[in-house]
Amino acid sequence: MKSFVLITGAAGGLGKAFALECAERGWDLFLTDRDNSTLEKLAEGINRLYNIHIVYKTCDLTDDFSRRKLWEYMEENRLKFHFLINVAGLDYEGMFNERSTAELDTIIRLNINAAVVMTNRIIRYRDYARTFRIINVSSLAAYYPMPVKATYAASKRFILDFSFAIREELKNDDVTVTALCPGGMPSNEEVMRSIERQGFFGRLTTRNVGYVASNTIDSALKGKKLYIPGSFNVLLKVLGKLVPAGIIAMFIAMRWNHART
Amino acid sequence: MKRVIVITGATSGIGFAAAKEFIKRGAAVIGTGRSRESCGKAAEKNRDITYIAADLSSQKQVRDAAAKISLLADSRYRGKIDVLVNNAGTFSGWYQATEDGYELQFAVNHLAPFLLTNLLLPELRASGKGKIITISSGSHYHTKINWKDPMNRKRYNCLKAYKQSKLANVLFSYELNRRFSEQFNIRAYAVDPGLVNTGIGEKRTGGLVKWFWGIRRKHGISPEKAAETIIYLAQRDLEDNTFEHLIDAPVEKNWIYWKECRPKEPGRYSKDGAAALRLWELSERLCGMAEQRETAAFKDPETENPDLSGTRSVIKIDSEAAV
Repeated sequence: MKSFVLITGAAGGLGKAFALECAERGWDLFLTDRDNSTLEKLAEGINRLYNIHIVYKTCDLTDDFSRRKLWEYMEENRLKFHFLINVAGLDYEGMFNERSTAELDTIIRLNINAAVVMTNRIIRYRDYARTFRIINVSSLAAYYPMPVKATYAASKRFILDFSFAIREELKNDDVTVTALCPGGMPSNEEVMRSIERQGFFGRLTTRNVGYVASNTIDSALKGKKLYIPGSFNVLLKVLGKLVPAGIIAMFIAMRWNHART
Repeated sequence: MKRVIVITGATSGIGFAAAKEFIKRGAAVIGTGRSRESCGKAAEKNRDITYIAADLSSQKQVRDAAAKISLLADSRYRGKIDVLVNNAGTFSGWYQATEDGYELQFAVNHLAPFLLTNLLLPELRASGKGKIITISSGSHYHTKINWKDPMNRKRYNCLKAYKQSKLANVLFSYELNRRFSEQFNIRAYAVDPGLVNTGIGEKRTGGLVKWFWGIRRKHGISPEKAAETIIYLAQRDLEDNTFEHLIDAPVEKNWIYWKECRPKEPGRYSKDGAAALRLWELSERLCGMAEQRETAAFKDPETENPDLSGTRSVIKIDSEAAV
């Protein structure tokens, strides 16, 4: 029986990198994203590069109906999974009170709700012949309260704590859970521009998505609970634990004010 | 009958300079640009160039552009193209996967010219002596193709990826000649424009790379000067005709690599016939040119369950639930 690697948010920068990395390792892929035409081209491209099976399905993970269609498909075809990579996530640029209610709601529904529901479901469809592995994409932002990225950072904190907790619960069921906390990642051109705007500091915290995806899979295979790409980012995480959260929030807010004026 | 020239990346830099010059010499020029906006702006500057918008990082858009160019050539120029200038090139400071999952520089600098050239071969044949001029660079020296990971995905180094893509241009030109020069009387050249004052190092970079390029480009020659070699190879009508006889010299002479209107010895690796063949075959696969084989793998999932017995398959599932 074949079993698949499920990647959510597969058409984004990091999602594509994960898909390519898994394909290179010879694993069959099940890809989802919001946009069907991009998935189609990606699947075709990966198929030309590597000798694997790819199944893809459009799914808006914030939409209940859309999600149900996904489960139905998996059940009907008795698909089995041995790996789940929760990549889908988003943030909107701007201050909290400049954001619409719908935007904030979407951040939480995608970054938190979708990841939890997905994990819960896909474990049921696991391939019992193999160790089941989960990678949850959190962020370095999870380590600080972040003004201007308040909702996003808090949602990523949720993912981090959630991953650590279920990891302990599922240990005896041959399931590993790995959280990925990247600093900056040039996953699309907008992010790239924002990294470049931060200058030297931006470059220092940034790692290529191809490198990150490859190392994260290695970490997951070793059963690690956390992977932070780049030693400077590890340092930032440690600092984040040493300094009280309130002070960090003040410091980040100061930096933003500085950048905006 | 006008000479028909197709130039990719013809909205700025070397491509635009060459396009203007070809127009001045009475040729018809079809140019491509990355977006509608850039095409519109360039068209305002020179009304005689026909622009087609295509982001060449996308294989689909390369195919669409080729179809439009063929259509234009058929309707206006009796289905012939005399010269194809594969000029569009990019540089990216970060690893980026295109929508097809390929590394951006490899896709734009190599796969796009490869696919476009192959798709326009019938028109180039119709010319009787079609020419394919691909803009390479001196950075193709002292490098190799990384066969293990041609996309440089895991250990991406922007300069290495650029050098590799430019080496691929020279290898591609050699292989084109080997395949088509006798059969179709088509000739391919790789041009080294030298250091040119264009925006290539600024569009998709930032920080150190952008700063460094900002300084470096000032020492470069003008795009107009850099375009001279292209015009020379395409038209053979510059005043200085010292090397003119080498342009159409027999392929065995291997005058494929040109700089400043004269032939130059390309890097050793670029003359490796086995590498050129291997690159060609890889590119054919990545561009889906041998695709008839397994398209059967695409199935309508609403009527059929996925067949997972073959060695490869892509299964598409349409979802009306998509919002």
